[in-house]
Amino acid sequence: MSINEKFTAIRKGLLEFLVLKIVAADKVYVADILGQLSGTEFATQEGTLYPLLSKMRREELVDYEWKESEAGPPRKYYQLTAKGREQLRETSDYWQKISGTVRSLGRDSGQTTNESAPR
Amino acid sequence: MNKVITINLNGIAYQLEEDGYEALRAYLGSAAQRLEGNPDRAEIIADIEQSIGDKFRAMLGVNKTVVVTKEVRDVIADMGPVQDPSGLTDESVPGAQKAETAGAGGAAGAPPSPGEPPGTPKRLYKIRDGAMIGGVCNGIAAYLGIDVAIVRIAFGFMSFMWGTGVLLYILMMIIIPYATTSAEKAAATGIPSTAEEFIRRARAGYYGGMKTFTDKKAYREWKWQFKQDMRRHRREFRREMRQNAEHWGQRWHQYWGPAHPPGGSWFAAPFVGCMMAVVTLVCLLSFASLILTGAVFGIGLPAGVPLWAGLLFLFVFFRILKWPLAAMRHHAYYGHGYIGPFHYLWHSFAWVALLFVCLWFADHHSVAAHDALLRARHEAHNTVNVLRDWWSRQ
Repeated sequence: MSINEKFTAIRKGLLEFLVLKIVAADKVYVADILGQLSGTEFATQEGTLYPLLSKMRREELVDYEWKESEAGPPRKYYQLTAKGREQLRETSDYWQKISGTVRSLGRDSGQTTNESAPR
Repeated sequence: MNKVITINLNGIAYQLEEDGYEALRAYLGSAAQRLEGNPDRAEIIADIEQSIGDKFRAMLGVNKTVVVTKEVRDVIADMGPVQDPSGLTDESVPGAQKAETAGAGGAAGAPPSPGEPPGTPKRLYKIRDGAMIGGVCNGIAAYLGIDVAIVRIAFGFMSFMWGTGVLLYILMMIIIPYATTSAEKAAATGIPSTAEEFIRRARAGYYGGMKTFTDKKAYREWKWQFKQDMRRHRREFRREMRQNAEHWGQRWHQYWGPAHPPGGSWFAAPFVGCMMAVVTLVCLLSFASLILTGAVFGIGLPAGVPLWAGLLFLFVFFRILKWPLAAMRHHAYYGHGYIGPFHYLWHSFAWVALLFVCLWFADHHSVAAHDALLRARHEAHNTVNVLRDWWSRQ
């Protein structure tokens, strides 16, 4: 099992967090989100993203508005709701904690407490 | 040439090749199946359809109006399998991965595999349309999927090897049946006739579809979709039939219409008919003479050539001799439009002139042919004398 495969579940779990971050920065539509993710380890496809966005909208984390586009029919532009911003903050904090733990664990043999983590 | 199907993605029409359409339908079908129970199912599907539409539009232009199958498959691969995020955590990941790979290509739960539709089995038949002699070469070409010309050349080549090609041809002409019904024609060319293929696909799709659904609601929805499809197919099929009927109606009028006495045929047809009668008579005479005396008009069989080869040669020779005459007669009877009697007269003269050139060539370059012609003149003279005597005695 390659590293890539081992982390499949983690990447999937983190996708929502990353989408929150992207949408928080600017009003975007799906192709923008895909474009920003495409170069990274989190590159994904419409087949995954559309269902995820609709779930996030149902949970009232994001909202969309229709906007005319220069070419073709109008597009859905997504933006964060207040609840979404709250969620993003909580998730970021939690992520900090997790990554701190990952970094600190096993560094000094025996010393495995959170206090030794930097920051 | 591929059939094109027009589809509607979020209010905009796109034209897809048939196989591409099947692949897309399978993809969207599997997407709908995976999103079962998701309250936003309709919306997600609409989003995906719009996105696919955007991708199609990017490929099309003024000079390109049809999305080909490969492009459809590329777009589907680009979209990736549709996954329900709420179901993600419950599903074991390797299983989901496996479903993904299956879904990307053949689309799990899509009954007809869009890749290779099992074609109707091919059979060897003689095909009359466009045949030169008996349709054997035509049938073989259709069976092997190669050009008729290649098969004809091969036969011609084999004929030079002690007449093998000719013998083979005649054997096949006797053994292989003609493709007369539409089903036989379909089997001969391997292209399924529309109705049969339609029924086969419908069956495969229907039973395949029934097996994949366990949930009642999804099954009902699918059934409704299937019925819609069937209705649409039926409409298209009827329209096609109607168009064909109109087309043939026109042709019928052209060929058999009441107002056209075939122009000039009153003059040319009897002429051509007479010539054909003469050729047939000469053919029968030479057969008889070859069997009884072992020689035709004094030309004996070359040493070492058996009698059957001589008969075969004669048969083919006269077939070829008669062929343009037959074509001319057909034209005289069924030709459309009034061209004028001189047109047919000209054809006849051209043919006679060709015959004379051939005879002259044989006369001057072959001693045997020269002798035979001299003797034939004598024979003809004698025959005429005998006939005159017989007539005066009456």
